[in-house]
Amino acid sequence: MLQTLQISGTAALAPTLVLGVTALLLLLIDSIDPEESSSALLSGVATLGSLVALAAAGAILVATGGEPQSLFQGQLVVDGMSLFFTFIFTSVTTLVTLASYDYLKEFRYKAEFYTLVMLAATGMTLMASSNSMATAFVSLELASLPSYALVAFLKNNRGSVEAGLKYFLIGALSSAVFVYGISLVYGVTGSLQFDAIASELGNTGEGLVGVLGVGILMIIGGFAFKTASVPFHWWAPEAYEGAPAPVSAFLSSASKAAGFVIAFRVFTVAFPQSTVGVDWVLAFQVLALVTMTLGNFAAATQENVKRMMAYSSIGHAGYVLIALGALTGSANQAFVLGAGMIHLVVYGFMNTGAFLFIALAEYWGVGRTFEDYNGLAKQAPVACVAMTVFLFSLAGLPIGGGFLSKFFLIAAAVEAATIGTYVLAFALVINSALSLFYYSRVVKAMWIEDPVGDFEVGGYPTGLYAAIIVAAVATFLLLPALGLFTNVAVDAAASMIQ
Amino acid sequence: MAGAFDFAPAIALLPFGSFLVALFLGQYMPKRGALAGIIATVGSLLLSAWVALTVAGGETYNEPVYTFVAMGENPIQFGLLLDQLSALMLVIVSLIAVLVHVFSLGYMNDEGETGLPRYYGELGLFTASMLAFVMSSNLLMAFMFFELVGLCSYLLIGFWFRRDGPPSAAKKAFLVTRFGDYFFLIGVVAVFATFGTAQFAGEESFPHLAELALSGEGQVTTMFGLGAEAWFTVVGLLILGGVMGKSAQFPFHTWLPDAMEGPTPVSALIHAATMVAAGVYLVARIYGFYALLPTALAVIALVGGFTALFAATMGVVKREIKQVLAYSTISQYGYIMLALGGGGYVAGVFHLTTHAVFKALLFLGAGSVIIAMHHNENMWDMGGLKDKMPVTYYAFLSGSLALAGIVPFSGFWSKDEVLYETLVHGIGTDGGLGVVLLLAYAMGLIAVFFTGFYTFRMVLLTFHGKPRSDTARNPHGVHWNVKGPLAVLGVLAATVGAINLVPVHALVGSVPEFLHDWLYYGPEMLNGHHYHELITAGEFGGMSAGELPGLGETGTLFASAGISLTVALAGSALAIALYRGDSPVEHTDRLGSAKTVLFNNYYQDEYQVWLAQGLTMNVARAADKFDQGVVDGVVNGVSSVSLFGGSRVRRIQTGIVSNYATLLTLGLVALLVGIGLMGGWF
Amino acid sequence: MSNPWIAVGALGLVSVLVPLGMMAASALIRPTVPEQGKTAVYESGEVPTGNTRIRFNIQYYMVALLFVIFDIETVLIFPWTVIYRDAVSQVGLTKALVPMLVFIGVLVVGLVWAWRNGAVRWVQPTTSDRRQTET
Repeated sequence: MLQTLQISGTAALAPTLVLGVTALLLLLIDSIDPEESSSALLSGVATLGSLVALAAAGAILVATGGEPQSLFQGQLVVDGMSLFFTFIFTSVTTLVTLASYDYLKEFRYKAEFYTLVMLAATGMTLMASSNSMATAFVSLELASLPSYALVAFLKNNRGSVEAGLKYFLIGALSSAVFVYGISLVYGVTGSLQFDAIASELGNTGEGLVGVLGVGILMIIGGFAFKTASVPFHWWAPEAYEGAPAPVSAFLSSASKAAGFVIAFRVFTVAFPQSTVGVDWVLAFQVLALVTMTLGNFAAATQENVKRMMAYSSIGHAGYVLIALGALTGSANQAFVLGAGMIHLVVYGFMNTGAFLFIALAEYWGVGRTFEDYNGLAKQAPVACVAMTVFLFSLAGLPIGGGFLSKFFLIAAAVEAATIGTYVLAFALVINSALSLFYYSRVVKAMWIEDPVGDFEVGGYPTGLYAAIIVAAVATFLLLPALGLFTNVAVDAAASMIQ
Repeated sequence: MAGAFDFAPAIALLPFGSFLVALFLGQYMPKRGALAGIIATVGSLLLSAWVALTVAGGETYNEPVYTFVAMGENPIQFGLLLDQLSALMLVIVSLIAVLVHVFSLGYMNDEGETGLPRYYGELGLFTASMLAFVMSSNLLMAFMFFELVGLCSYLLIGFWFRRDGPPSAAKKAFLVTRFGDYFFLIGVVAVFATFGTAQFAGEESFPHLAELALSGEGQVTTMFGLGAEAWFTVVGLLILGGVMGKSAQFPFHTWLPDAMEGPTPVSALIHAATMVAAGVYLVARIYGFYALLPTALAVIALVGGFTALFAATMGVVKREIKQVLAYSTISQYGYIMLALGGGGYVAGVFHLTTHAVFKALLFLGAGSVIIAMHHNENMWDMGGLKDKMPVTYYAFLSGSLALAGIVPFSGFWSKDEVLYETLVHGIGTDGGLGVVLLLAYAMGLIAVFFTGFYTFRMVLLTFHGKPRSDTARNPHGVHWNVKGPLAVLGVLAATVGAINLVPVHALVGSVPEFLHDWLYYGPEMLNGHHYHELITAGEFGGMSAGELPGLGETGTLFASAGISLTVALAGSALAIALYRGDSPVEHTDRLGSAKTVLFNNYYQDEYQVWLAQGLTMNVARAADKFDQGVVDGVVNGVSSVSLFGGSRVRRIQTGIVSNYATLLTLGLVALLVGIGLMGGWF
Repeated sequence: MSNPWIAVGALGLVSVLVPLGMMAASALIRPTVPEQGKTAVYESGEVPTGNTRIRFNIQYYMVALLFVIFDIETVLIFPWTVIYRDAVSQVGLTKALVPMLVFIGVLVVGLVWAWRNGAVRWVQPTTSDRRQTET
């Protein structure tokens, strides 16, 4: 209980601590004068905090070379994997806080917004470092609870409040399933720490494999909720549609990545496929297949751009699930996991960017359907170029990093060389082709169609534009620069798998 | 200590920097970005010279710089391969780039052109891509920069995009070279599929793997059930597609004459000295691969010899000075191909070097004349410029003598060696390959006659006689920035042949063959010596050197030199006889119906247009029918199924949260039951 | 009777059958005398006014939330105080005290913020509101 921070421990947790302190700082700033909060100051502090955390994560990764550091008697671990994902979380957080400067100008509870975002980011970085079921659960809740409030942030908008409540209810159900699963696993193995669970797996009593299996599947359920995978995805379309667009960006990019990092760690460290005796790879294959297919098929018929993006985000969760579904014995495991991580990095930028463009459209008061985007390129060519980059990269065209990361996923799945992974690779190709159809509808609307009425965009908000352009440049540069990340990702995955 | 190789990336990065500077800041700079370009290319030239000196010291370099895709045992990387060949090419490219940048001051800035930042930006990008291409350490990287130089060529040909001609010429150049590049791309993929690597050099390089496979020591994957050699020949010919497109070899040569629509300095840099050389450079770069494949060598030699003759005949009747030079360029690259196909690796590289110098000189000289003539390119409107612009005249004359192959100008030495190598290998080699080489040699020899003819026709019409128009009587003056590069190149064109005086070496052993030694002692498996072994080995190239009956080796050498010099002099003499005097007249009517054929470039354009419109259009229409009917039908079917499925999925999302909770629980239970039953938990 | 689950099933069956049987028996033998008083909510004679779904004033909810926060805080601090002396002697003052101070500090920041944002300010309901909330 009284385990204290060691100096190296404090330093290793710097990104998490910085995010948490920033959240408290924002609350204090707001306490000075709750009625008159300065948008620039709050957004600036939040952006600065996440940038410092980003820099800290990078510095630690460079300094330690991703060497695992165990903290609090192994409850937390800081290694290449956690720092890699901290990089994703803090990048997305930076973009979102930067963009919210303009988006939130007219709203009253700005400080609360930034605080919640920061707290959620804190929870996500903790999720990335969790090394025990207890910390995993607590940090997952720390990331989830602020998200519920953020989705319902537009207090006077029925859609937003309703979405928040639905998100909360499904979240509560999923948490219950998750914690039940943890209790079953604890019952079988007698430990909560991941490595201890793995070492106990061999000693489970006769006939307890079923209990363990039920526990593992329920834990999968908890992660499926966080990553918006079928069948725990029900909250996602409504939550992403109802929430303010920057929050949708945050949830669909960072929160999803958080769900994946904890899943990666649990299933490679605690339940290694070689000893566990439960075929969770098959479960992930089924989930990946159903998730990507359902997400893309539903996205194809949407009329509303934001909802389309919500379903596309479910589809992408399915793509990343391949990283777990292809962890068969025959696979090059580090490469498989690394491919998933790479896709999440690229996805972090391109998906955030796309949602921020929707935020920009909401800021201008453009409607929500495809038709409402008609002719936007004439008014805002720069933003529309960025959006085109995002969408085509999401579809996997070689205009951004999305092409290569999808390619890695396909390569990883094919290399695993089992029937299941071949099916997954094939499904990825088919679904990407389908996704091109609905992404290009937006592009077509923006560039080719004529505007319906004479609509004038209301100004060019600096923060939003900056965030969108940064995301677009990052997406584009990730195509040639992905080589920088592949090594880090594969090394991090390899050191975790051992 | 940081040596030359550590700075080698800067050779390409400097011009890239000048591209950015000229493009974004050029508008605010005194010379609109020209200075940035000149500084960057001079830097590249110095670094290239340093690299060349280091290479001369016996060091070579073959290291990855940036790993693009770290996957498997053979990652896809960008790397630098700095050996004798690439160092030589680096010096040539950066030297010509410097001179062309300086010349552009006179051709573009002083003429008050608009859009100069764009011009210098594109020039910088081209130089950067070309240098990076030269330094590439693998086929994929080479392909990427191959495409980039193609793009720059397209942009620069279409520089004056407001006129009618340039955009259409640019499009033509782009499409024709692209057609060749399709084969190249397939070739790159085939190399990857076959060898798993596309490295040029080292133990794991694909030429070496091919060598092992052919000598039965290694295993590779071949396609379509072909044997190793047959399949390698297919791969080599696929890559050759890109080479022929880029180096304007028959039948992909049609774009080059039209490319003369671009600014003349661009023609000098891109369409004479460097980019067009990229094709043949690639063949030289992977010569260790081609040397294994006699069939591919025969095709190269035949294409080269035919192109040399074919293009030279068309150059005879042209009226515009740049058109003559364009056909001459095609013809000279034919010689280089002929040399490479005929087993003369050193000869090919030698002619590549000398040609880069004298053809750049001729284009720049033509540019100078064009400035003087107020952008009238018709030679029949010129005449008598000799006295008005002496620097240009003497430089141009030096280049012309080199082009015609008159001793002792540089072109003589290199062209002679090309023909000699082909001849001896043709005589000495048995079977079909020998016959093909002799045939190609014959075509190359006849082409020498035409070369001499069109060269001196051009010189006489342009500079001699009486002025035939008002502008020729009062030409526009040119500045130092035009004369300077001409003077430098003029001296070089006369003397650069000294780097490989083969016939002199044969007589006086103390006169060194610099280039020969330079190329023969490269890194392992990349040197001329190794190529020579491959070419002559029975199981690979299967060539052997022969000699003319009764003359011996040295005798053959001099006989060959004598024949080609005689033919060149004969061609030149005919031109002088026909076009000398104060007011020469057209003699083309004497050619009769051949004239029409020649003026229409053997109807090459027509048949390609027919290919594009008559044939391809119909095929495309049929394909369209198929596409509309069958493929679209299937696709529409699939998409309507998916849309239907999508709307079903959409309907499940009712918006009622208790439904969601139910479905969620049911989904989990289904998963539990399914996995549980398969895992046998119950 | 090798499978113990059969006994469990039998127990479940019996536990369902017994109450059902009793209800059925009483329904068969009891007399039926319908009377209005029996259907009232409170048989004591108290007549209900309005329905059960009253809205409480939302401000009670805020108070309850604050109470929960303090409650949890106490629950955590209490065991800490019990072992505080031992902890100081074992790991020293800093390591025993600082984490708790950090914890309380974080809560204080939250409390200050809530206070400043009016969480404990009791807003007097207007008359129209009162009728809604207190009937």
